[in-house]
Amino acid sequence: MRSLPKESPGENRLQHDLTDLLARVARPGRYVGGEFHARRKPGATPRIVLSYPDVYEIGIANSGLQILYAGLNDATPAAAERAYCPWPDMATLMRARGVPLWSLESGAPVHEAALWGFTLQHELTYTNILEMLDLAGVPLHVAERGEADPIVLGGGPGTANPLPLAPFFDAFFVGEAEGRLAEIVAALEAPTRAQRLGRLGAVPGVWLPHASGGRAVATGKSGATMAGNGRVERQVFMGFAHTSPVTEPLVPLIEGVHDRAVIEVMRGCTAGCRFCQAGMWYRPVRERPVAMVVEAAARALRSTGCDEVSLISLSSCDYGGVREAIAGIRERFPHVRVSLPSLRVDSAAVVLARLGDEQRGSVTLAPEAGTQRLRDAINKRVDEQAFAAAVRGVFGAGYSGLKLYFMVGLPDETDDDVAAIAAMAESALRNAREAAPGRSRISIAVSSFVPKAHTPFERAGFAGEAVIRRRQELLRQRLPRQIRVRFHDVGTSLVEATMAMGGREAGALIEAAWRGGARFDGWSESFDAGIWRRAAAEVGIELGGPAWSSTEALPWRDVDPLVDDGFLRDEGARAVRAETTADCRDGSCTSCGVCGGEIEMELIR
Amino acid sequence: MSWWLVSFRRDGPARYISHLDTMRVVQRTFARAGIELALSQGMRPKPRLSLPLPLPTGAAGLDELAVVEVVEESAAALLPVRLAALRAAAADGLAIERLVIAGERPRPQAAAAAYECRLDAPGPAVDEALAWFAGQPCVSVVRQSPKGRRAIELKEYVCELSASPCDAGTKLAFTLRYGPGGSARVDEVVAALAARLEIEPVVLDLTRVRVTWQGLPSRSFAATDEIAPDGHVRGQRR
Ligand code: SF4
Repeated sequence: MRSLPKESPGENRLQHDLTDLLARVARPGRYVGGEFHARRKPGATPRIVLSYPDVYEIGIANSGLQILYAGLNDATPAAAERAYCPWPDMATLMRARGVPLWSLESGAPVHEAALWGFTLQHELTYTNILEMLDLAGVPLHVAERGEADPIVLGGGPGTANPLPLAPFFDAFFVGEAEGRLAEIVAALEAPTRAQRLGRLGAVPGVWLPHASGGRAVATGKSGATMAGNGRVERQVFMGFAHTSPVTEPLVPLIEGVHDRAVIEVMRGCTAGCRFCQAGMWYRPVRERPVAMVVEAAARALRSTGCDEVSLISLSSCDYGGVREAIAGIRERFPHVRVSLPSLRVDSAAVVLARLGDEQRGSVTLAPEAGTQRLRDAINKRVDEQAFAAAVRGVFGAGYSGLKLYFMVGLPDETDDDVAAIAAMAESALRNAREAAPGRSRISIAVSSFVPKAHTPFERAGFAGEAVIRRRQELLRQRLPRQIRVRFHDVGTSLVEATMAMGGREAGALIEAAWRGGARFDGWSESFDAGIWRRAAAEVGIELGGPAWSSTEALPWRDVDPLVDDGFLRDEGARAVRAETTADCRDGSCTSCGVCGGEIEMELIR
Repeated sequence: MSWWLVSFRRDGPARYISHLDTMRVVQRTFARAGIELALSQGMRPKPRLSLPLPLPTGAAGLDELAVVEVVEESAAALLPVRLAALRAAAADGLAIERLVIAGERPRPQAAAAAYECRLDAPGPAVDEALAWFAGQPCVSVVRQSPKGRRAIELKEYVCELSASPCDAGTKLAFTLRYGPGGSARVDEVVAALAARLEIEPVVLDLTRVRVTWQGLPSRSFAATDEIAPDGHVRGQRR
C-alpha cells in the first residue's frame, strides 16, 4: 500500500492489513479519511476519537461532530480523530484477520485513545456502539475496562435518557459541549484512569453513571439501581450567538448523505411541539447575527467548494434573519442554492424556500396530525387555511412535488384523527391541481409516535404494535390512489420506544440484540425484528418500552434538562384539553424554567 | 469560455473512491480554487467536466486526464497561477499535474492503458499462469450487467502481460487496449488468472500507470511535459 494516510507513514501500523481489507469491501472510501480540511496532529496528546455510530456516509454529514472535531483540534492541545461504524462486510474481515478498529486520521487503533466520544443521535444506532467497542477491542462493560482502555463518553440528545447505555459508558456529557472542551481535555491529563474519570466528573455537565458516592437511583420497572455522581444539569452554550459556525468543515472524498455546506443559524426552538424532544432539550433559542451567518456561509462555500449551503436549525423559517441571510448569500453567490432543512406549514415559508433556490423539485411540510383537535393537542399550531395556502403556494411557485409528514399513535388519538389525515391529503391534492393542473405529485410519510424523555409526553407510553398497524391499515384504505404513502416500520419504532423510555435494564436488551446479530437497526435492509424479539424474550423485557404513571419516578430524573418538571406536566395537561401554548419568542414567556442567570433567549430582533 | 485538459494523479485515500466521487472531488477542487466551470444547458445544469477513462475504485492513477470547460477566457500566461490555485485546493491524494488550453472541445478516447497490480501468489506460479494465458487461443469471461450477460474475449484486449517479484506476492503488469466496443476490465483479467492460480480473485494495489489517448489536440501533454512560464507546454508531443 502506497499511502494511507500519507501524513504519518511511520505511525501507521495498520497500513498493510488495511490494503488487503480495502480490496475486499464495498465502498472502501468509507475507511480511509483523506477529507479536505481533515486535521492531523501527529504526536499531540491527549488523543481523542470521535464517533458517529453509523456508516461513514451518515456520520460525516453530522454537523454536531464537525463542531466538536474542529473545536478540539483548533482550540485545544488534543488531537481529535474519527471512526465510524464499519459496514458488516468490513467488520467480518476485521474479525477474521484480527484488525482492530482504527481512526481515520492516524490509522492508529482506537483502543489506544485517551477518550472515545460517541454522539448519541438516535436509539437505533445503539447496537452499533457495541459493535464498534467490540471491533476496537475495548471491553463492552465499564467494569471490565482497565488502565489502558479509553474513557468511553457519550454526548448528544441521547443523553436525555442515557440509562440504557449506562453499562457501556464511563461517562456522559449532558448538553452542549462546545463551552467545556478545554476542561474535558485538561481532565484527561491526570495520570491514572480513575483520576481522569474523577476530574471529568467535576466538569459541569458530565455524569458518571458508575461513580461511587452518588446516591443510588432506582431505574426501570425491575427496580435495578445504579449509582452515579448525582444530578447533572444540561449545559447550554451561551457563546453560540457570538461564535462563528465551523467554516472549514471536513469535505469528504465519498459523498455523504448531505453534500452541502451547513451553517447553523439558530439553536433551540420554542415552537413548543409537545412530542418533540429537541424542542425541549435545546432551549432557549439563540440566534446568530445575519452578518455572521452570511460571512460564515461565504467562507464555508469557498473553503468547501460546495454549490449549496443549508441554513440549519430546528426551525430555520423562524430564524429572525432568515430572509436577509438568504438574500445576502445569494447576492454574493448568485449560482449557489440556499436551502432550509424543514419548512413551516405556511405560504410564507414556501416563499422563503423559493428565495434560496430556483430549482423546483419537491417540498416537505409536516402537519403531523389530521384534525385540528389533535394538532392543538400536540401544539402544532397549523390550521386548515394555512395548510391550504401552503399547498397552493408550493405548486403555484412551480414545485413539482410535495411530501407531507404525519404521525400515528399520538396520545389520545382516535380513528377519526387518522381518517382525517386521508381527508387532508385529499384536500391537498385538490388544491394542488387547482394551482398547477397536470403536475402535482403528493406523497405522504407516516411515522409512529415514540414518546421521549423530558417532553410533555414522556409518560404517555407507546401506542403499541397492534394499534399502530391497525391505524396504518385504516389510513392505507382511506387514501386516494394517486397519493403514494410510506409507513415507518413498526418494528423499529418498538425498539426505539424501548430504548427511549427504558432504564438500565434496556442495556441488557441492547447487548442481547447485538449478540444476536443486530447491527444498523436504522437501515431497513439490516433491521431484523426477529433478533429483537428473541433478545427481549431472553432478558425478559417487553418491546415497546415501559409507560410511566404520573406517580412513578422516571429513570432519567437525575438528568436535569433545565425545563421544569411542572412545566412538562402542565403542558401534558393542556394536551389533554387540546389547548395550545404560544411560542415564547413572540414575547410571552410561558415559564418553562430554562431562562435564568446567564441563560437567556438571544434573538436578533 | 475555454476548454482545458487537466492532467492529474489519484493516489492515497483518493484511490478508494469511485468514478463519480472522483468527478465530484475534481469539481470541488475547481470551486475551491476559484475557477468557475461552465454549466451545461437544461433544467438541471451540470458543470462541464468529464473524466474520459473511469478509474476503477481502489486503483491509483498516475496519468489521469480530465476535460473541463471554464468560464474564463483563458490566457496561457495565467495557467501557472491557475495550476497553483488548483494544487492548493486539491484534496489528499489528488495531485493536479498540468493544465493545457485545448482550443476546440477535446474528445479524447483512450487507446490503451498500462496497469500494475499484485497477485497473492508466488512468482513461478504466476509465470506458469501467464504462459498458460499466452498459449490459449482464447480466454473468455462472462460479464453480467443490467443489460444482460455478454462474453468478453480477454485476448482481444490484453497485451504485454508480465510478472515480477514484489513485497507480498507477485507484481503483474499488463496493458488493456480500448476500442469502440470497450475493453476488458482489470478485475476480469485478474479473475481469469486467479482461477488458473486457484487463488481468491481480488485485485490488490492496482495502479494505472499510463494512458495512451487518441483525439487529443496536437499540442497536448505527456509525462515528460512541463509548463513553460508563458503557460505553453514543452516536451514530447503526440
Ligand atoms: S423560560 Fe420563558 S423565555 Fe425562556 S425558553 Fe422558557 S418559555 Fe421561553
